[in-house]
Amino acid sequence: MKTDTDVINYIAALAKLKFSNDEAEKFAEEFQQIMMHFNNLDTVDLSSVDMNGLDQLQPFLREDVLKIFKNEAELFSNVRDFKDNYILTPKVIE
Amino acid sequence: MNIEKATIEEIREGYKTKKFTVKEIVKAYFERIYKYDDTINAFITLCEETALVEAQRVDEKIRNNEKMSPLEGIPVAVKDLICTKGIKTTCASKMLENFIPPYDATVMTKLKESGAIMIGKTNMDEFAMGSSTENSAFKITRNPWNLKKVPGGSSGGSAAAVSAGFAPLAIGSDTGGSIRQPAAFCGNVGLKPTYGLVSRYGLIAFASSLDQIGTFTKTVKDAALGLQTIQGHDPMDATSAQHHGTKNYAIHLEDGIKGMKFGIPKEFYQEGLNEEIKTAIMASVERITKMGGEVEEFSLPITDAGLSAYYIISSAEASANLARYDGIRYGYRTENFTDIDTLMLNSRTEGFGSEVKRRIMMGTYVLSSGYYDAYYKKAMLFRKKVKSIFNDAFEKYDAIISPVSPVLPFDIGEKTDNPIQMYLSDIYTINVNVAGLPAISIPCGFSEEGLPIGIQLIGNLYEEEKLLKSAHALEQDLGLCNTIPTLKEVL
Repeated sequence: MKTDTDVINYIAALAKLKFSNDEAEKFAEEFQQIMMHFNNLDTVDLSSVDMNGLDQLQPFLREDVLKIFKNEAELFSNVRDFKDNYILTPKVIE
Repeated sequence: MNIEKATIEEIREGYKTKKFTVKEIVKAYFERIYKYDDTINAFITLCEETALVEAQRVDEKIRNNEKMSPLEGIPVAVKDLICTKGIKTTCASKMLENFIPPYDATVMTKLKESGAIMIGKTNMDEFAMGSSTENSAFKITRNPWNLKKVPGGSSGGSAAAVSAGFAPLAIGSDTGGSIRQPAAFCGNVGLKPTYGLVSRYGLIAFASSLDQIGTFTKTVKDAALGLQTIQGHDPMDATSAQHHGTKNYAIHLEDGIKGMKFGIPKEFYQEGLNEEIKTAIMASVERITKMGGEVEEFSLPITDAGLSAYYIISSAEASANLARYDGIRYGYRTENFTDIDTLMLNSRTEGFGSEVKRRIMMGTYVLSSGYYDAYYKKAMLFRKKVKSIFNDAFEKYDAIISPVSPVLPFDIGEKTDNPIQMYLSDIYTINVNVAGLPAISIPCGFSEEGLPIGIQLIGNLYEEEKLLKSAHALEQDLGLCNTIPTLKEVL
């Protein structure tokens, strides 16, 4: 598949990023090369691999116990705009 | 005492025999940092004031003959993506330039509980994405052995700090080689434990299924001490291992390697590997044989496809993990916005550096409709295959001997315009993360130009003890751990 600036701009929109035309062109070229390299996965026979086979490393889930969280002030300490326990953002609905 | 050569073990002994105080040691490290770090650029943030207060506390304990914890009074440098309560944690990104975590990562809690004294936060590639520490938004760290060369990455600041004699212990993270490769480039010991052995709670995520915290030290024995402290189950991390309780990793260090079996993957020593690195590793293999280890060549056909699988999986996870940086709850916020959409778009575009954007783009692409099966699903299938290939290998071998990097430390700026070349420098380290295995990098020689060369030993899941024992035997035989770089104050 050819990666052009349209693809870059489409992916950028999904990723919430934006690129100038020059950046998008440079990116498209790099992307094309990287994706071509990724195609070497096609040379490996994966037909016998069971995607759902159990892993040796199993996740652990702790018991969901209710705890009172006491330091709300610290929790919001990195928020830029804050009022009455709410984070302020620009208007979402017109 | 030559502070630049000091190991954790020697410092502990000195405290015990009252040869010097903790305050003297901490001050000596800071003197050295102030003298040389303007050139090396290992640190983003220094914590001298709190470190001296802590030093006084430990000195008091020593005076009162109180029981000492394993790392009591040991200065430690911490990679700037591990959350430290009340101390800036930037991930070397403009996005988190002013972020002050309201909590400590579990690894920090464990270090504090064992008495370690944090002296500062180290430079890195932005969000741990890179192999040279050139992707930091703030500074480029230099290799203490040759200031024109990169220290490796992404934990380049931590690696450089240990080699420059700024700390006897540094903490890093390894997603695809980010501890082992800089340890090899800077000539020290880098340990990447089994995935899940060290809690990731409070480690700012790059690729959650691959990230693992580990140590940089001057010796393998110190690495055992460091691992002893930071490992262990943590209910705050769902991927934290449960049934591999605290062990004394140093207890079998001196047992030797007689009768142990080592595999050499023939695919790792073909085209693309620097000749000087190959020669140094083969010399080490000879030493291992002379010490009674059995060495055998075997096939491990995973390098090329493994690199692709790694970059697909890690970028996919990065694109999801970094979606949280929206300019709203915390992190960088643009001045230039009219509505919520432009606020997010501009905050992310201005806040992230180019390599981070490249990874987010790759990750979004491979997860997007129409490409998921072609890339992500295939990479996940290959991941299963890699695990099973390694399983088979460890039926036969106790450890696998491999290069760390195919190239010697390269010039600053040499690979920044060529992402594929940069990615290829991770070819021997990434599969270890894909399979979740432990591995260690130790110095095994120097190039003609005087640049350090590392050798990697890869072990089976949770077999750190075996790995440390083999690495310690080789390290003692090589006798390189006292060799340190000569630093210059100015360039």
